Amino acid sequence: MAYFGNNPQRGELQELYADLNDLNFEKKKEAVKKVIAYMTVGKDVSDLFQSVIKCLEFNDIEMKKLIYLYIVNYSRQKPDDAIMVIQNFRKDVRKSENPLVRALAIRTFGCLRVPKLNEYLIEPLKDCIQDDDPYVRKTAVLCVPKVYEVSPEICPALLELLQKLLEKESNALVLANLIQSMREIEVVSGKQLINLNQKIIQKLLLAVDECIEWGQIFILDYLATYNPQDSKQAEIIIERTLPRLSHINPTVTFCAVKVILKYLDFLDNGELVKNLCKKVAPSLISLLSWNQPEVQYTILRNISLILQKFPILFENDVKVFFCSINEPYYIKYEKLDIMVRICDSKNFGQVLNELLIYLNEADPHFVRKTIKSIGKIAITYDKALDKAVSILVELAKNIQQPTEPVQELLIQMQLIYKKNKQMYKHDESLKIIYSIVDYANEPESKSACAWILGEFGEFIPKSVEKMKEYVDNFQMEDRLVQLQLLTSAVQLYLKYPSQCATLIQQLITSAKDSFNPDVRDRTYIYWRLLSTDPEVVKNLVCFNSGTFSNFSKDLRLWETQDLVVALENMGSISNLFHKLPHQLYKNIKIKINNQQNVKIYKGEEKPDTQAQDQQDENNQNNKKELQQQSQQQQLQDVDLLNFDEPSNNNNNNNNNNNNNNNNNNNNNNNNNNNKTDLFELI
Amino acid sequence: MISSIVFINHKGEILIYRVYKDDITRSETTQFCAKIVATKENKECPIINIDGTSFIHITIKDIVVLATTKVNVNVAMTLQFLYQLVKVCRAYFGGEFDENCIKKHFVLIYEILDEVMDYGVPQIADADLLKKYIQEGGLKPELMNDVEKLKQLTSQATGATSWRPPNLVYRKNEVYLDVIESVNVLMSVKGTILKADVAGSIQVKCLLSGMPECKFGMNDKLLMQREPRKPGQTTTDKGITIDDLKFHQCVKLPKFDKERAITFIPPDGQFELMTYRITENINLPFKIMPVYNELGKNKLEIRVKIKSIFEKNLFATNLAIKIPVPKNTANVTTNSAIGKAKHEPDQQGVIWRIKKYPGDFEALLRCEIDLGQTTNQQPWIKPPISMEFQVPMFTASGLRVRFLRIYEKAGYKPTKWIRYITKAGEYLHRL
Repeated sequence: MAYFGNNPQRGELQELYADLNDLNFEKKKEAVKKVIAYMTVGKDVSDLFQSVIKCLEFNDIEMKKLIYLYIVNYSRQKPDDAIMVIQNFRKDVRKSENPLVRALAIRTFGCLRVPKLNEYLIEPLKDCIQDDDPYVRKTAVLCVPKVYEVSPEICPALLELLQKLLEKESNALVLANLIQSMREIEVVSGKQLINLNQKIIQKLLLAVDECIEWGQIFILDYLATYNPQDSKQAEIIIERTLPRLSHINPTVTFCAVKVILKYLDFLDNGELVKNLCKKVAPSLISLLSWNQPEVQYTILRNISLILQKFPILFENDVKVFFCSINEPYYIKYEKLDIMVRICDSKNFGQVLNELLIYLNEADPHFVRKTIKSIGKIAITYDKALDKAVSILVELAKNIQQPTEPVQELLIQMQLIYKKNKQMYKHDESLKIIYSIVDYANEPESKSACAWILGEFGEFIPKSVEKMKEYVDNFQMEDRLVQLQLLTSAVQLYLKYPSQCATLIQQLITSAKDSFNPDVRDRTYIYWRLLSTDPEVVKNLVCFNSGTFSNFSKDLRLWETQDLVVALENMGSISNLFHKLPHQLYKNIKIKINNQQNVKIYKGEEKPDTQAQDQQDENNQNNKKELQQQSQQQQLQDVDLLNFDEPSNNNNNNNNNNNNNNNNNNNNNNNNNNNKTDLFELI
Repeated sequence: MISSIVFINHKGEILIYRVYKDDITRSETTQFCAKIVATKENKECPIINIDGTSFIHITIKDIVVLATTKVNVNVAMTLQFLYQLVKVCRAYFGGEFDENCIKKHFVLIYEILDEVMDYGVPQIADADLLKKYIQEGGLKPELMNDVEKLKQLTSQATGATSWRPPNLVYRKNEVYLDVIESVNVLMSVKGTILKADVAGSIQVKCLLSGMPECKFGMNDKLLMQREPRKPGQTTTDKGITIDDLKFHQCVKLPKFDKERAITFIPPDGQFELMTYRITENINLPFKIMPVYNELGKNKLEIRVKIKSIFEKNLFATNLAIKIPVPKNTANVTTNSAIGKAKHEPDQQGVIWRIKKYPGDFEALLRCEIDLGQTTNQQPWIKPPISMEFQVPMFTASGLRVRFLRIYEKAGYKPTKWIRYITKAGEYLHRL
């Protein structure tokens, strides 16, 4: 503990200096340890460089390691002093009988990262790559990318050596490091180094059986990027990879899953594909209940991809995604997300029953997310609508406080009503939901309430009074609520012109001077329209005929054409964030998928998914539109004088779109009500 | 690959800091410490991206073990590596892993870090193997100068059976097998099974000389179907269906894939041979039957009946049944024929403990609960009843070890011991 003291004061450095130069070996060693401790806590001890490296003359391996650590840390600051160590390294590499010392020296040598020192490194490194001892070779092989990163110009000879080694190396561990190291250089240089041929593939497959777990991962990861030449080759590789599904290291299993799934595309034999899917599924399910939550999380984050390309794998297994009580919330959130995606016309009852239980959980965020999931299911799957709504309404009956879940409940109900307006007009649910509008305390949920009020004013008792209450507090509301209030109040006015006349006057008076240009503009538009032709307004703000039929059914995260590239990168950081590598890392080249048709692996035909597939292209187009819209929105964010409200919010999108359309209509004076309104469900 | 490995304490102070690639600055890491670890904000999620740097971490008690990277690494591997690193440290520190021992052994940790990862690429990280050439206080000079021994060491480390050193000698050759199953079950209010599975593990302690080849057999249905029936033999045991198996690295996986035979050269000492998962035909050792009554405004009655469903000659031990009660519970009176039941406010429940419980037996607990006044109008949300127990010599999956054959050229006959035990995993009954 004494090592972790405070800052090294001037005096302390001097003391260390004295100890390092002491003749007593023990004292020296203690001093070196202290230096490393200071380094750990981030204090600058680079001034002691000369004294520290003098200690190298002792043949004590523990101290040697510490000094090497020190040198690696400070060599870039003191390149001139570092040169003095070179002789030491060279001596160790060439003369030492001890393979551990040889490996240690070459490993550290590579980490110096001083360009002008690297030329001294080439020869010893060449020796080490050809060393008799596999331990030295595996270390030397990894040293090449280190040198390449700093001084690529001196490396061609080394790269050739690596390529030769790939041909003849027989030790599995060395081979695995070799593959990893060549891949690193490929990434940095952008050139292809590894030329896979039948023989090397055979060798790699053999190495997978013999090497340590990490090595297996490197090789499998590499194989996943390879495109086999024909069905036969794919079959062989899959066959040799299958045993890895039973490995205790979940990452090895997961990489094996990746390789197998990727190569399925190349198989001709449909029966074989089916059998392989049957073998892969249980392994994957075991990983989902892995006892390390962090690992479980990474697997879960990749499931959406697998679900999209291989729905067959989880056909009857929605249960594996049910949350357990003691799981961390980040896992529960992922599972909720997946449950919504996996829901279909057959299992929706099971999913909803499970979600119903989660509504009792203590954590309000989790309950909120559950409600959101139920809402999504209701909107996406028509068959599930009734059940989902009854759950939400039942929940609404017991509400007594303005909690967080209540807000989400209101938001989701608004969305459901929006989609199924005709169905719920006279429904009992409306009254129950309306009874909790007073608990709304977030802009979004308030705006949802305002929307309900405007849309269903004629079915709600005392709607005008309620609207009056809102209008009285207009100035205090968030912009989002204000905008919705304007539209809703106009709707209500059109329904009860006489009762709302003063109300709308009051609203326009207080809104027309708003500091917010969007609110102001919208006020003026409605004002002008109302004073010229109320019929036009009616067409604009009251959509009564199936306007929202075009709800997107698409819950998929990935563009279909991206699936293959995403699959190759399964398990990586980019996939964890549901992105393609080049979207996250600028230096990675865009990999274009040459396959024209991406195969989707389904079990029995399901009407729902089929329909979804037919919509495929539509949806993709729609998505693009959405993207464009959001881009527009961003632009609008800058241009505050613009008519539309800029917003990142989904709900808003709708309002926004409405208005967009309103606007267009207005310009074109076109009474076409049939506008496209999209929901992006995130 | 990985740019650095850092150990951080709960205050966000750096304990160990090892850089493998210099594309990361120390200030980026301290930023993570200050923002995430110290504030505990968002800390739960195992991967966080800040300005193009990914921070992948696990938390072991108070210590955050962190890997940073700027490239697209395999996250699962990184996490697995961090877990392995902690396992190695524990192996060196006698099972402990906390701030004190990290500070005390920091020199050793740096040595380990130097060995288990090179240029951000995971290397040999097997504790038993590492102990051969990394020791606290440095290696003995004898070893350092014995080139033959060193060569043997490096060839073992890089070889195909890196987990077993050659030339082991035991005077008495013995193998101990432990089959440990934990049952996870979730029952609905009505007592129907919503979810049930068995997570099993076979632990082996191996004290064998030489290089023994072992063959291990269970009543695996798929395997038994392959075996030819011996004439005259009529077994009713058809075996059990195993959903999935995962093996220790010593098991020859290709052989298992082809023949479903489990063959291996074991490491020396204790190791986990395999884990498995079973979801079909599970014998639940206990049935829970709760009845819940509200007797007026301030009184509740909960009756819990449990029934053991295993053979009479077996015993379950250390039962603990947790019956949740509302927060405003003032007083609980319990009544049961066996065991002790007590209201434990910090657990928000009545814990019913029974030391020893016979097979095929029913017991009942009655709890009368008086509720105090409360301002909270929300109805009580009832968490499920949970249960802990151990049943020795019983497997919930019905798994049985059929044989363990050991072949060694010396031809010795080892003594073999086997134990079975079933434990409660998440054993829940909704109330």
